[in-house]
Amino acid sequence: MVQTKKQKYLFLAFCLVPTFLLFAVFTLYPLFSGLYFSFFSWSGSAADREFVGISNYIRLFNDSIIPRTILHDYFLVVTKVIGIMALAMYFAVAIMQMKIKEAPFYRIIFFFPNIMSVVVIGILWMFIYNPSLGLINSGLEAVGLENLTRPWLGSETWALPAIVLPSIWAGIGLFMLMLMGGIGTISKSYYEAAELDGASEWQQFWKVTVPLLWPQIKVSVLYIVITTLNGSFIIVQIMTGGGPNNSTHVMGSYLYQQAFEQYNFGYGATIGVMILVLSLLTVFLLQRLLRREKVQY
Amino acid sequence: MEQEPKGNLLTRIIIRLPLIIWSIAVLYPITWMILGAFKTNAEIYANPWGLPESFNFQNFFDAWNNYNIDLGVFNSLFVTVLGTLLALVLAVPTSYALERLNFRGSTVLFNLYISAMMIPMVLGWIPLFFLLMSIGMLDNLFGLSIVYAVSQLPFSIFVLTTFMGSIPKELEESASIDGMSPYGILWKIITPLSMSGIITVTIMNAIQFWNEYFMALIFLQSRENYTLGLAVDFISREAVYTNAWGTLFASLTIAIIPIIILYAIFQRRISKGMTEGAIKG
Repeated sequence: MVQTKKQKYLFLAFCLVPTFLLFAVFTLYPLFSGLYFSFFSWSGSAADREFVGISNYIRLFNDSIIPRTILHDYFLVVTKVIGIMALAMYFAVAIMQMKIKEAPFYRIIFFFPNIMSVVVIGILWMFIYNPSLGLINSGLEAVGLENLTRPWLGSETWALPAIVLPSIWAGIGLFMLMLMGGIGTISKSYYEAAELDGASEWQQFWKVTVPLLWPQIKVSVLYIVITTLNGSFIIVQIMTGGGPNNSTHVMGSYLYQQAFEQYNFGYGATIGVMILVLSLLTVFLLQRLLRREKVQY
Repeated sequence: MEQEPKGNLLTRIIIRLPLIIWSIAVLYPITWMILGAFKTNAEIYANPWGLPESFNFQNFFDAWNNYNIDLGVFNSLFVTVLGTLLALVLAVPTSYALERLNFRGSTVLFNLYISAMMIPMVLGWIPLFFLLMSIGMLDNLFGLSIVYAVSQLPFSIFVLTTFMGSIPKELEESASIDGMSPYGILWKIITPLSMSGIITVTIMNAIQFWNEYFMALIFLQSRENYTLGLAVDFISREAVYTNAWGTLFASLTIAIIPIIILYAIFQRRISKGMTEGAIKG
Protein backbone atom coordinates (compact mmCIF):
# COMPACT_ATOMS: atom_id res chain seq x y z
CA MET A 1 0.00 0.00 0.00
CA VAL A 2 1.41 3.31 -1.00
CA GLN A 3 0.50 6.11 1.32
CA THR A 4 -0.61 9.34 -0.17
CA LYS A 5 1.08 12.49 1.08
CA LYS A 6 -2.14 13.50 2.79
CA GLN A 7 -2.38 10.23 4.73
CA LYS A 8 1.22 10.59 5.78
CA TYR A 9 0.68 14.09 7.12
CA LEU A 10 -2.51 13.01 8.81
CA PHE A 11 -0.65 10.29 10.67
CA LEU A 12 2.15 12.66 11.60
CA ALA A 13 -0.41 15.14 12.95
CA PHE A 14 -2.13 12.33 14.87
CA CYS A 15 1.17 11.50 16.54
CA LEU A 16 2.39 14.99 17.28
CA VAL A 17 -0.40 17.54 17.51
CA PRO A 18 -2.40 16.48 20.60
CA THR A 19 0.76 15.99 22.65
CA PHE A 20 2.28 19.24 21.52
CA LEU A 21 -0.92 21.16 22.19
CA LEU A 22 -1.04 19.97 25.79
CA PHE A 23 2.68 20.59 26.20
CA ALA A 24 2.26 24.10 24.81
CA VAL A 25 -0.72 24.87 27.04
CA PHE A 26 0.60 23.35 30.28
CA THR A 27 4.35 23.94 29.97
CA LEU A 28 5.34 26.53 27.36
CA TYR A 29 2.49 28.99 27.84
CA PRO A 30 2.90 29.13 31.66
CA LEU A 31 6.64 29.78 31.37
CA PHE A 32 6.26 32.66 28.93
CA SER A 33 3.22 33.93 30.70
CA GLY A 34 5.24 33.94 33.93
CA LEU A 35 7.75 36.27 32.30
CA TYR A 36 4.85 38.52 31.28
CA PHE A 37 3.24 38.46 34.75
CA SER A 38 6.45 39.76 36.27
CA PHE A 39 5.62 43.20 34.87
CA PHE A 40 2.28 43.38 36.67
CA SER A 41 1.06 44.01 40.14
CA TRP A 42 -1.60 41.41 40.78
CA SER A 43 -3.34 40.04 43.83
CA GLY A 44 -5.26 37.36 41.99
CA SER A 45 -8.59 38.80 40.87
CA ALA A 46 -8.87 39.83 37.25
CA ALA A 47 -9.95 43.38 38.10
CA ASP A 48 -6.87 44.61 39.88
CA ARG A 49 -4.18 43.44 37.49
CA GLU A 50 -2.13 46.50 36.78
CA PHE A 51 0.88 47.00 34.51
CA VAL A 52 3.72 48.34 36.62
CA GLY A 53 6.69 48.08 34.26
CA ILE A 54 9.89 47.06 35.97
CA SER A 55 8.86 48.09 39.46
CA ASN A 56 8.70 44.42 40.58
CA TYR A 57 12.32 44.11 39.51
CA ILE A 58 13.25 47.26 41.42
CA ARG A 59 11.52 45.78 44.44
CA LEU A 60 13.46 42.56 43.91
CA PHE A 61 16.77 44.40 44.08
CA ASN A 62 15.73 46.29 47.20
CA ASP A 63 14.22 43.32 49.04
CA SER A 64 16.62 42.44 51.84
CA ILE A 65 15.36 38.83 51.97
CA ILE A 66 16.27 38.12 48.33
CA PRO A 67 20.08 38.07 48.77
CA ARG A 68 19.60 35.72 51.72
CA THR A 69 17.45 33.33 49.70
CA ILE A 70 20.06 33.28 46.92
CA LEU A 71 22.82 32.68 49.45
CA HIS A 72 20.84 29.84 51.04
CA ASP A 73 20.25 28.22 47.66
CA TYR A 74 23.93 28.30 46.78
CA PHE A 75 24.85 27.14 50.26
CA LEU A 76 22.71 24.06 49.62
CA VAL A 77 24.22 23.65 46.14
CA VAL A 78 27.81 23.76 47.39
CA THR A 79 27.33 21.60 50.48
CA LYS A 80 25.28 19.05 48.56
CA VAL A 81 27.77 18.81 45.70
CA ILE A 82 30.69 18.33 48.10
CA GLY A 83 28.87 15.98 50.47
CA ILE A 84 27.25 13.82 47.81
CA MET A 85 30.24 13.64 45.49
CA ALA A 86 32.74 12.86 48.25
CA LEU A 87 30.63 10.09 49.78
CA ALA A 88 29.32 8.70 46.48
CA MET A 89 32.85 8.62 45.10
CA TYR A 90 34.22 6.87 48.16
CA PHE A 91 31.44 4.29 48.12
CA ALA A 92 31.70 3.70 44.38
CA VAL A 93 35.46 3.28 44.41
CA ALA A 94 35.42 1.10 47.52
CA ILE A 95 32.74 -1.19 46.13
CA MET A 96 34.26 -1.49 42.65
CA GLN A 97 37.96 -1.71 43.53
CA MET A 98 37.62 -3.98 46.55
CA LYS A 99 35.30 -6.31 44.63
CA ILE A 100 33.16 -6.47 47.74
CA LYS A 101 30.96 -9.56 47.78
CA GLU A 102 27.91 -7.89 49.30
CA ALA A 103 28.01 -5.04 46.73
CA PRO A 104 24.41 -5.64 45.54
CA PHE A 105 23.24 -5.12 49.12
CA TYR A 106 24.80 -1.64 49.26
CA ARG A 107 23.53 -0.74 45.79
CA ILE A 108 19.97 -1.64 46.75
CA ILE A 109 20.02 -0.01 50.18
CA PHE A 110 21.80 3.23 49.24
CA PHE A 111 19.57 3.85 46.26
CA PHE A 112 16.26 3.42 48.03
CA PRO A 113 16.00 6.95 49.55
CA ASN A 114 16.22 8.34 45.99
CA ILE A 115 12.72 7.11 45.29
CA MET A 116 11.23 8.09 48.63
CA SER A 117 8.77 10.96 48.66
CA VAL A 118 10.23 14.27 49.79
CA VAL A 119 7.31 14.47 52.21
CA VAL A 120 8.36 11.23 53.90
CA ILE A 121 12.04 12.22 53.93
CA GLY A 122 11.28 15.67 55.30
CA ILE A 123 8.94 14.51 58.05
CA LEU A 124 11.19 11.61 59.01
CA TRP A 125 14.13 13.98 59.43
CA MET A 126 12.02 16.52 61.28
CA PHE A 127 11.52 13.83 63.85
CA ILE A 128 15.20 12.89 63.83
CA TYR A 129 15.91 16.55 64.67
CA ASN A 130 13.08 16.74 67.21
CA PRO A 131 14.51 18.61 70.24
CA SER A 132 13.22 16.22 72.90
CA LEU A 133 12.53 12.89 71.18
CA GLY A 134 14.80 13.06 68.16
CA LEU A 135 17.60 10.66 67.35
CA ILE A 136 20.30 13.33 67.15
CA ASN A 137 19.68 14.89 70.53
CA SER A 138 19.06 11.53 72.25
CA GLY A 139 22.26 10.24 70.68
CA LEU A 140 24.26 13.24 71.89
CA GLU A 141 22.83 12.81 75.38
CA ALA A 142 23.62 9.12 75.36
CA VAL A 143 27.32 9.79 74.75
CA GLY A 144 27.43 12.62 77.28
CA LEU A 145 27.45 15.58 74.92
CA GLU A 146 24.33 17.28 76.34
CA ASN A 147 25.82 20.70 75.71
CA LEU A 148 25.75 20.06 71.96
CA THR A 149 22.02 19.34 71.85
CA ARG A 150 19.92 22.08 70.36
CA PRO A 151 16.56 22.59 68.66
CA TRP A 152 18.17 22.04 65.25
CA LEU A 153 15.36 23.19 62.98
CA GLY A 154 14.32 25.93 65.39
CA SER A 155 17.74 27.55 65.43
CA GLU A 156 18.52 30.31 62.96
CA THR A 157 22.12 29.14 62.73
CA TRP A 158 21.56 25.41 62.47
CA ALA A 159 18.31 25.04 60.54
CA LEU A 160 19.84 25.42 57.07
CA PRO A 161 22.80 23.06 57.68
CA ALA A 162 20.28 20.64 59.19
CA ILE A 163 18.44 20.56 55.86
CA VAL A 164 21.61 19.56 53.99
CA LEU A 165 21.93 16.21 55.72
CA PRO A 166 18.60 14.72 54.56
CA SER A 167 19.29 16.03 51.06
CA ILE A 168 22.61 14.19 50.99
CA TRP A 169 21.06 11.13 52.63
CA ALA A 170 18.43 11.00 49.91
CA GLY A 171 20.78 11.71 47.01
CA ILE A 172 23.86 9.51 47.46
CA GLY A 173 22.55 6.30 45.86
CA LEU A 174 21.83 7.64 42.41
CA PHE A 175 25.25 9.26 42.05
CA MET A 176 27.03 6.26 43.48
CA LEU A 177 25.41 4.13 40.76
CA MET A 178 26.35 6.64 38.07
CA LEU A 179 29.99 6.66 39.20
CA MET A 180 30.04 2.86 39.54
CA GLY A 181 28.82 2.61 35.96
CA GLY A 182 31.73 4.80 34.89
CA ILE A 183 34.33 2.91 36.90
CA GLY A 184 33.09 -0.33 35.37
CA THR A 185 34.07 0.91 31.91
CA ILE A 186 37.67 1.80 32.87
CA SER A 187 40.00 -0.86 31.55
CA LYS A 188 42.00 -2.70 34.19
CA SER A 189 45.15 -2.35 32.15
CA TYR A 190 45.49 1.31 33.21
CA TYR A 191 45.70 0.31 36.85
CA GLU A 192 48.11 -2.50 36.08
CA ALA A 193 50.36 -0.11 34.17
CA ALA A 194 50.17 2.45 36.98
CA GLU A 195 51.04 -0.21 39.50
CA LEU A 196 54.07 -1.29 37.48
CA ASP A 197 55.17 2.35 37.46
CA GLY A 198 54.98 2.27 41.25
CA ALA A 199 51.97 4.55 41.66
CA SER A 200 50.31 4.31 45.06
CA GLU A 201 46.58 3.63 45.26
CA TRP A 202 46.00 7.27 46.14
CA GLN A 203 47.93 8.35 43.04
CA GLN A 204 46.04 5.82 40.97
CA PHE A 205 42.80 7.37 42.14
CA TRP A 206 43.77 10.92 41.14
CA LYS A 207 45.72 10.07 37.98
CA VAL A 208 43.62 7.25 36.55
CA THR A 209 40.17 7.06 38.11
CA VAL A 210 39.28 10.77 38.30
CA PRO A 211 40.36 11.76 34.76
CA LEU A 212 38.73 8.72 33.17
CA LEU A 213 35.61 9.19 35.25
CA TRP A 214 35.35 12.88 34.41
CA PRO A 215 32.28 12.63 32.14
CA GLN A 216 30.30 10.94 34.94
CA ILE A 217 31.61 13.37 37.55
CA LYS A 218 30.64 16.31 35.38
CA VAL A 219 27.13 15.00 34.72
CA SER A 220 26.63 14.23 38.42
CA VAL A 221 27.72 17.70 39.56
CA LEU A 222 25.52 19.39 36.95
CA TYR A 223 22.57 17.22 37.90
CA ILE A 224 22.95 17.99 41.61
CA VAL A 225 23.20 21.72 40.86
CA ILE A 226 20.16 21.75 38.57
CA THR A 227 17.94 19.69 40.84
CA THR A 228 18.96 21.75 43.88
CA LEU A 229 18.32 25.14 42.27
CA ASN A 230 15.05 23.92 40.74
CA GLY A 231 13.76 21.87 43.63
CA SER A 232 15.43 22.51 46.98
CA PHE A 233 12.44 24.56 48.09
CA ILE A 234 10.30 21.44 48.40
CA ILE A 235 12.18 19.99 51.34
CA VAL A 236 12.57 23.50 52.81
CA GLN A 237 8.81 24.03 52.59
CA ILE A 238 8.13 20.74 54.36
CA MET A 239 10.79 20.97 57.07
CA THR A 240 10.81 24.65 58.02
CA GLY A 241 8.56 26.61 55.65
CA GLY A 242 11.45 29.08 55.30
CA GLY A 243 11.69 29.83 59.03
CA PRO A 244 12.78 30.48 61.69
CA ASN A 245 12.86 34.17 60.83
CA ASN A 246 13.57 33.53 57.10
CA SER A 247 16.82 31.76 57.97
CA THR A 248 16.09 28.84 55.62
CA HIS A 249 14.10 30.55 52.86
CA VAL A 250 15.39 29.62 49.42
CA MET A 251 14.25 31.33 46.23
CA GLY A 252 11.47 28.83 45.51
CA SER A 253 9.99 28.83 49.01
CA TYR A 254 10.04 32.62 49.03
CA LEU A 255 8.22 32.60 45.70
CA TYR A 256 5.60 30.28 47.17
CA GLN A 257 5.18 32.53 50.18
CA GLN A 258 4.90 35.72 48.14
CA ALA A 259 2.59 34.31 45.47
CA PHE A 260 0.41 31.72 47.15
CA GLU A 261 0.36 32.86 50.76
CA GLN A 262 0.50 36.64 50.40
CA TYR A 263 -1.08 36.85 46.94
CA ASN A 264 1.63 39.01 45.37
CA PHE A 265 1.44 37.02 42.14
CA GLY A 266 3.31 39.60 40.04
CA TYR A 267 6.19 39.76 42.48
CA GLY A 268 6.17 35.96 42.79
CA ALA A 269 6.56 35.71 39.01
CA THR A 270 9.51 38.12 39.22
CA ILE A 271 11.18 35.81 41.73
CA GLY A 272 10.45 32.96 39.31
CA VAL A 273 12.22 34.82 36.52
CA MET A 274 15.19 35.30 38.83
CA ILE A 275 15.26 31.54 39.55
CA LEU A 276 15.14 30.79 35.83
CA VAL A 277 17.93 33.25 34.99
CA LEU A 278 20.21 32.17 37.85
CA SER A 279 19.64 28.50 37.16
CA LEU A 280 20.43 28.78 33.43
CA LEU A 281 23.40 31.05 34.10
CA THR A 282 24.84 28.70 36.73
CA VAL A 283 24.51 25.67 34.48
CA PHE A 284 26.11 27.55 31.58
CA LEU A 285 29.06 28.74 33.67
CA LEU A 286 29.50 25.37 35.31
CA GLN A 287 29.55 23.61 31.97
CA ARG A 288 32.44 25.85 30.87
CA LEU A 289 34.21 25.42 34.18
CA LEU A 290 33.98 21.64 34.12
CA ARG A 291 35.12 21.35 30.55
CA ARG A 292 38.31 19.39 30.46
CA GLU A 293 40.43 17.96 27.72
CA LYS A 294 39.39 14.44 26.94
CA VAL A 295 42.00 12.17 28.46
CA GLN A 296 43.67 9.55 26.40
CA TYR A 297 46.36 7.21 27.53
CA MET B 1 48.97 -10.08 37.21
CA GLU B 2 47.73 -11.70 40.39
CA GLN B 3 43.99 -11.56 41.00
CA GLU B 4 44.00 -11.66 44.77
CA PRO B 5 42.20 -8.78 46.49
CA LYS B 6 44.29 -5.82 47.45
CA GLY B 7 45.27 -5.08 51.04
CA ASN B 8 45.23 -7.13 54.18
CA LEU B 9 42.27 -8.02 56.35
CA LEU B 10 42.51 -4.89 58.52
CA THR B 11 42.43 -2.42 55.63
CA ARG B 12 39.55 -4.33 54.10
CA ILE B 13 37.58 -3.91 57.30
CA ILE B 14 38.46 -0.23 57.60
CA ILE B 15 37.39 0.41 54.03
CA ARG B 16 34.11 -1.40 54.63
CA LEU B 17 33.30 0.50 57.78
CA PRO B 18 31.83 3.63 56.11
CA LEU B 19 29.70 1.39 53.89
CA ILE B 20 28.30 -0.38 56.92
CA ILE B 21 27.70 2.88 58.79
CA TRP B 22 25.89 4.37 55.82
CA SER B 23 23.73 1.25 55.47
CA ILE B 24 22.67 1.71 59.07
CA ALA B 25 22.08 5.43 58.50
CA VAL B 26 19.71 4.56 55.65
CA LEU B 27 17.96 1.55 57.15
CA TYR B 28 17.61 2.56 60.78
CA PRO B 29 15.41 5.68 60.35
CA ILE B 30 13.15 3.90 57.86
CA THR B 31 12.82 0.80 60.03
CA TRP B 32 12.26 2.90 63.08
CA MET B 33 9.56 4.91 61.31
CA ILE B 34 7.71 1.71 60.43
CA LEU B 35 8.16 0.33 63.96
CA GLY B 36 6.95 3.64 65.40
CA ALA B 37 3.66 3.11 63.60
CA PHE B 38 2.98 0.16 65.93
CA LYS B 39 3.73 2.02 69.17
CA THR B 40 1.30 3.79 71.44
CA ASN B 41 1.99 7.44 72.14
CA ALA B 42 3.13 6.62 75.66
CA GLU B 43 5.67 4.17 74.25
CA ILE B 44 6.95 6.75 71.75
CA TYR B 45 7.62 9.20 74.56
CA ALA B 46 9.15 6.60 76.86
CA ASN B 47 11.23 4.78 74.29
CA PRO B 48 11.25 6.63 70.97
CA TRP B 49 14.07 4.67 69.30
CA GLY B 50 13.50 1.12 70.50
CA LEU B 51 11.28 -1.79 69.52
CA PRO B 52 7.54 -1.67 70.15
CA GLU B 53 6.22 -3.78 73.03
CA SER B 54 3.54 -5.33 70.89
CA PHE B 55 2.33 -4.91 67.34
CA ASN B 56 -0.68 -2.70 67.62
CA PHE B 57 -2.58 -1.65 64.51
CA GLN B 58 -4.57 1.08 66.27
CA ASN B 59 -2.49 3.87 64.67
CA PHE B 60 -3.28 2.55 61.20
CA PHE B 61 -7.01 2.47 61.96
CA ASP B 62 -6.81 6.00 63.34
CA ALA B 63 -4.88 7.34 60.37
CA TRP B 64 -7.21 5.58 57.94
CA ASN B 65 -10.51 6.46 59.59
CA ASN B 66 -9.96 9.70 61.50
CA TYR B 67 -7.17 11.50 59.68
CA ASN B 68 -8.32 11.30 56.05
CA ILE B 69 -5.55 8.92 55.01
CA ASP B 70 -8.16 6.78 53.26
CA LEU B 71 -9.08 9.72 51.03
CA GLY B 72 -5.42 10.54 50.53
CA VAL B 73 -4.68 7.02 49.33
CA PHE B 74 -7.63 6.98 46.91
CA ASN B 75 -6.86 10.45 45.57
CA SER B 76 -3.18 9.63 45.09
CA LEU B 77 -4.12 6.37 43.42
CA PHE B 78 -6.46 8.28 41.11
CA VAL B 79 -3.89 10.86 39.98
CA THR B 80 -1.16 8.22 39.74
CA VAL B 81 -3.18 5.89 37.51
CA LEU B 82 -4.71 8.62 35.37
CA GLY B 83 -1.47 10.59 35.11
CA THR B 84 0.54 7.52 34.11
CA LEU B 85 -1.96 6.44 31.46
CA LEU B 86 -2.23 9.93 30.05
CA ALA B 87 1.54 10.31 29.91
CA LEU B 88 1.76 7.08 27.90
CA VAL B 89 -1.03 8.02 25.51
CA LEU B 90 0.68 11.35 24.87
CA ALA B 91 4.28 10.17 24.79
CA VAL B 92 4.17 6.93 22.78
CA PRO B 93 2.93 8.33 19.41
CA THR B 94 5.14 11.41 19.69
CA SER B 95 8.19 9.33 20.53
CA TYR B 96 7.53 7.11 17.53
CA ALA B 97 7.16 10.09 15.21
CA LEU B 98 10.28 11.77 16.57
CA GLU B 99 12.35 8.60 16.35
CA ARG B 100 11.13 7.02 13.10
CA LEU B 101 9.25 9.44 10.86
CA ASN B 102 11.56 11.85 9.15
CA PHE B 103 9.95 15.21 9.06
CA ARG B 104 11.27 18.71 8.99
CA GLY B 105 11.85 20.09 12.46
CA SER B 106 11.94 16.75 14.23
CA THR B 107 15.29 17.50 15.89
CA VAL B 108 14.10 20.93 16.98
CA LEU B 109 10.95 19.45 18.50
CA PHE B 110 12.91 16.70 20.24
CA ASN B 111 15.33 19.23 21.72
CA LEU B 112 12.44 21.41 22.82
CA TYR B 113 10.92 18.54 24.79
CA ILE B 114 14.24 17.45 26.27
CA SER B 115 15.36 20.94 27.29
CA ALA B 116 12.16 21.29 29.32
CA MET B 117 13.73 18.76 31.74
CA MET B 118 16.25 21.43 32.75
CA ILE B 119 13.89 24.39 33.12
CA PRO B 120 12.70 25.27 36.65
CA MET B 121 8.94 24.88 36.40
CA VAL B 122 8.22 26.94 39.51
CA LEU B 123 7.90 30.09 37.37
CA GLY B 124 5.22 28.39 35.29
CA TRP B 125 3.18 27.35 38.30
CA ILE B 126 1.78 30.84 38.91
CA PRO B 127 0.20 31.17 35.41
CA LEU B 128 -0.75 27.50 35.55
CA PHE B 129 -2.68 28.20 38.73
CA PHE B 130 -4.78 30.84 36.94
CA LEU B 131 -5.08 28.74 33.80
CA LEU B 132 -6.51 25.85 35.80
CA MET B 133 -8.81 28.25 37.61
CA SER B 134 -10.15 29.70 34.37
CA ILE B 135 -10.98 26.27 32.94
CA GLY B 136 -12.50 25.06 36.22
CA MET B 137 -9.73 22.55 36.90
CA LEU B 138 -8.30 24.11 40.05
CA ASP B 139 -8.77 21.97 43.15
CA ASN B 140 -9.59 19.16 40.76
CA LEU B 141 -7.89 15.76 40.65
CA PHE B 142 -8.50 15.42 36.93
CA GLY B 143 -6.74 18.75 36.30
CA LEU B 144 -3.84 17.70 38.51
CA SER B 145 -3.49 14.42 36.57
CA ILE B 146 -3.16 16.33 33.29
CA VAL B 147 -0.56 18.65 34.79
CA TYR B 148 1.34 15.63 36.14
CA ALA B 149 1.24 13.80 32.81
CA VAL B 150 2.50 16.82 30.87
CA SER B 151 5.23 17.48 33.45
CA GLN B 152 6.64 13.99 32.85
CA LEU B 153 6.41 14.19 29.02
CA PRO B 154 10.07 15.19 28.50
CA PHE B 155 11.37 12.28 30.58
CA SER B 156 8.90 9.82 29.01
CA ILE B 157 9.74 10.90 25.47
CA PHE B 158 13.44 10.69 26.19
CA VAL B 159 13.25 7.12 27.51
CA LEU B 160 10.80 5.88 24.86
CA THR B 161 12.74 7.27 21.88
CA THR B 162 15.85 5.47 23.16
CA PHE B 163 13.98 2.17 23.31
CA MET B 164 12.25 2.64 19.97
CA GLY B 165 15.57 3.43 18.32
CA SER B 166 16.68 -0.14 18.98
CA ILE B 167 13.75 -1.77 17.16
CA PRO B 168 14.83 -3.07 13.71
CA LYS B 169 13.38 -0.99 10.88
CA GLU B 170 12.72 -4.07 8.71
CA LEU B 171 9.74 -5.04 10.86
CA GLU B 172 7.91 -1.83 10.04
CA GLU B 173 8.89 -2.03 6.39
CA SER B 174 7.60 -5.54 5.90
CA ALA B 175 4.40 -4.75 7.79
CA SER B 176 3.92 -1.75 5.57
CA ILE B 177 4.41 -3.88 2.43
CA ASP B 178 1.83 -6.33 3.82
CA GLY B 179 -0.62 -3.45 3.79
CA MET B 180 -0.65 -2.44 7.42
CA SER B 181 -1.56 1.17 8.06
CA PRO B 182 0.83 3.38 10.05
CA TYR B 183 -1.69 3.37 12.90
CA GLY B 184 -1.57 -0.44 12.87
CA ILE B 185 2.23 -0.41 12.83
CA LEU B 186 2.34 1.93 15.81
CA TRP B 187 -0.22 -0.07 17.77
CA LYS B 188 0.56 -3.67 16.79
CA ILE B 189 4.31 -3.59 16.18
CA ILE B 190 6.01 -0.63 17.84
CA THR B 191 4.02 -0.62 21.07
CA PRO B 192 4.54 -4.32 21.92
CA LEU B 193 8.22 -4.18 20.93
CA SER B 194 8.93 -1.16 23.10
CA MET B 195 7.08 -2.69 26.05
CA SER B 196 10.22 -2.72 28.15
CA GLY B 197 10.59 1.04 27.75
CA ILE B 198 6.89 1.54 28.37
CA ILE B 199 7.12 -0.40 31.63
CA THR B 200 10.14 1.62 32.78
CA VAL B 201 8.40 4.90 31.98
CA THR B 202 5.22 3.75 33.68
CA ILE B 203 6.98 2.77 36.91
CA MET B 204 9.08 5.92 37.04
CA ASN B 205 6.08 8.16 36.39
CA ALA B 206 3.93 6.29 38.89
CA ILE B 207 6.56 6.74 41.63
CA GLN B 208 6.85 10.40 40.72
CA PHE B 209 3.10 11.03 40.87
CA TRP B 210 2.56 8.99 44.02
CA ASN B 211 5.30 10.98 45.78
CA GLU B 212 4.52 14.42 44.35
CA TYR B 213 3.89 17.17 46.87
CA PHE B 214 4.39 20.72 45.67
CA MET B 215 2.09 20.90 42.66
CA ALA B 216 -0.60 19.22 44.73
CA LEU B 217 -0.01 21.84 47.43
CA ILE B 218 -0.54 24.65 44.94
CA PHE B 219 -3.28 23.23 42.74
CA LEU B 220 -5.46 21.47 45.35
CA GLN B 221 -7.29 23.32 48.09
CA SER B 222 -10.08 21.40 49.75
CA ARG B 223 -9.22 18.64 52.18
CA GLU B 224 -11.35 16.03 50.43
CA ASN B 225 -9.09 16.42 47.39
CA TYR B 226 -5.82 16.13 49.30
CA THR B 227 -3.41 13.58 47.89
CA LEU B 228 -1.50 11.37 50.29
CA GLY B 229 1.49 13.72 50.51
CA LEU B 230 -0.73 16.63 51.52
CA ALA B 231 -2.71 14.53 53.99
CA VAL B 232 0.49 13.29 55.67
CA ASP B 233 1.94 16.80 55.73
CA PHE B 234 -1.29 18.02 57.33
CA ILE B 235 -1.01 15.42 60.10
CA SER B 236 2.63 16.36 60.60
CA ARG B 237 1.77 20.04 61.03
CA GLU B 238 -1.03 19.17 63.46
CA ALA B 239 1.16 16.74 65.41
CA VAL B 240 2.87 19.68 67.07
CA TYR B 241 -0.44 20.31 68.88
CA THR B 242 -2.11 16.88 68.87
CA ASN B 243 1.08 14.88 69.55
CA ALA B 244 -0.39 12.14 67.35
CA TRP B 245 3.04 10.80 66.48
CA GLY B 246 1.92 7.19 66.18
CA THR B 247 -0.71 8.19 63.65
CA LEU B 248 1.88 10.22 61.77
CA PHE B 249 4.22 7.23 61.56
CA ALA B 250 1.38 5.00 60.45
CA SER B 251 0.49 7.41 57.64
CA LEU B 252 4.14 7.73 56.58
CA THR B 253 4.31 3.93 56.50
CA ILE B 254 1.19 3.76 54.35
CA ALA B 255 2.78 6.28 51.97
CA ILE B 256 6.02 4.34 51.63
CA ILE B 257 4.80 0.73 51.41
CA PRO B 258 3.75 0.86 47.73
CA ILE B 259 7.18 2.32 46.91
CA ILE B 260 8.94 -0.46 48.82
CA ILE B 261 6.87 -3.08 46.98
CA LEU B 262 7.57 -1.54 43.57
CA TYR B 263 11.26 -1.30 44.43
CA ALA B 264 11.36 -4.91 45.58
CA ILE B 265 9.95 -6.05 42.24
CA PHE B 266 11.56 -3.61 39.81
CA GLN B 267 14.75 -2.60 41.62
CA ARG B 268 17.07 -2.94 38.61
CA ARG B 269 14.71 -1.27 36.20
CA ILE B 270 14.10 1.68 38.56
CA SER B 271 17.75 2.40 39.31
CA LYS B 272 18.66 2.01 35.63
CA GLY B 273 15.79 4.25 34.53
CA MET B 274 16.76 6.98 36.97
CA THR B 275 20.48 6.83 36.22
CA GLU B 276 19.85 7.11 32.49
CA GLY B 277 17.34 9.91 32.97
CA ALA B 278 19.91 11.81 35.03
CA ILE B 279 22.70 11.30 32.52
CA LYS B 280 20.66 12.95 29.80
CA GLY B 281 19.08 15.62 31.99
